[in-house]
Amino acid sequence: MATNYKFKRLNAGRDYIADNYQTPLSLSDIAKCSNMSPYHFLRVFKDTYGETPNEFLIRLRVEQAKKMLITENFSVSEICEKVGYTSLGSFSSLFLKQVGLAPTLYRRKLWALSNEAYRFPSQAIPACYAYYFLGKLAK
Amino acid sequence: MITSIAHSTIYVLNQDEALDFYKNKLGFEVGDDMKVEGDFRWLTVYPKSNSQLQLVLAEPKEGPMFTKDSAEKIRSLIEEGAFGAGVFETENCQKTYEELVAKGVEFIQPPTEQLYGVEAMGLDNSGNWFSLVQR
Repeated sequence: MATNYKFKRLNAGRDYIADNYQTPLSLSDIAKCSNMSPYHFLRVFKDTYGETPNEFLIRLRVEQAKKMLITENFSVSEICEKVGYTSLGSFSSLFLKQVGLAPTLYRRKLWALSNEAYRFPSQAIPACYAYYFLGKLAK
Repeated sequence: MITSIAHSTIYVLNQDEALDFYKNKLGFEVGDDMKVEGDFRWLTVYPKSNSQLQLVLAEPKEGPMFTKDSAEKIRSLIEEGAFGAGVFETENCQKTYEELVAKGVEFIQPPTEQLYGVEAMGLDNSGNWFSLVQR
């Protein structure tokens, strides 16, 4: 675990990823924000957060893509670009690996479940909360 | 066997304001921020070093579980400080306390030696208390 000072420096790099996930990012640029060498940054980041900078970046991009697929009417290609990928093939296979469904299928499935346009269905949140806040029991 | 806790709820008075507090004052990250059917906002945050436990920031509103009267009572109890957001851990209570005070976070107890470590007690911007503990 990082010390308080090191944690702050690490957070600067992590915040840089979070603020710029939609653009191409290199490990050396991210590490510079933390005043660390790329290798050292990678190791301490993984030790502290339990995931590598790249895994964190992928998680942010996929989460944002999931949100845009449901709440926006952009095409999958447009969403791919908006979350920082240049290759639709890479984006689609990464999304499939992370989510278990291809982007188009994910959108189709969740839109079909939702009673309202551009809203996540209640099945997208834990059932106890859907029941508690929306009065819906999973079928 | 239960292996971990994934979500815990904090009732807040206003989700936008709570998000600002937990993100920009406490330095948490946003997990989910989704509009769900029925105009429900599913909003979660987590400390940067632990994305496994997400705190659900929820507004008590009239709905399936609360009557209008119950929701108002809960809002009033939040404002009175009747609820707690939990215990947040830090590596250096004094330093984190000073950083949070500089950001305008209100504390009801400065860092104090306890049997289990050093602890300060603060309030979020809804009125929920939280502990800041260095073990």
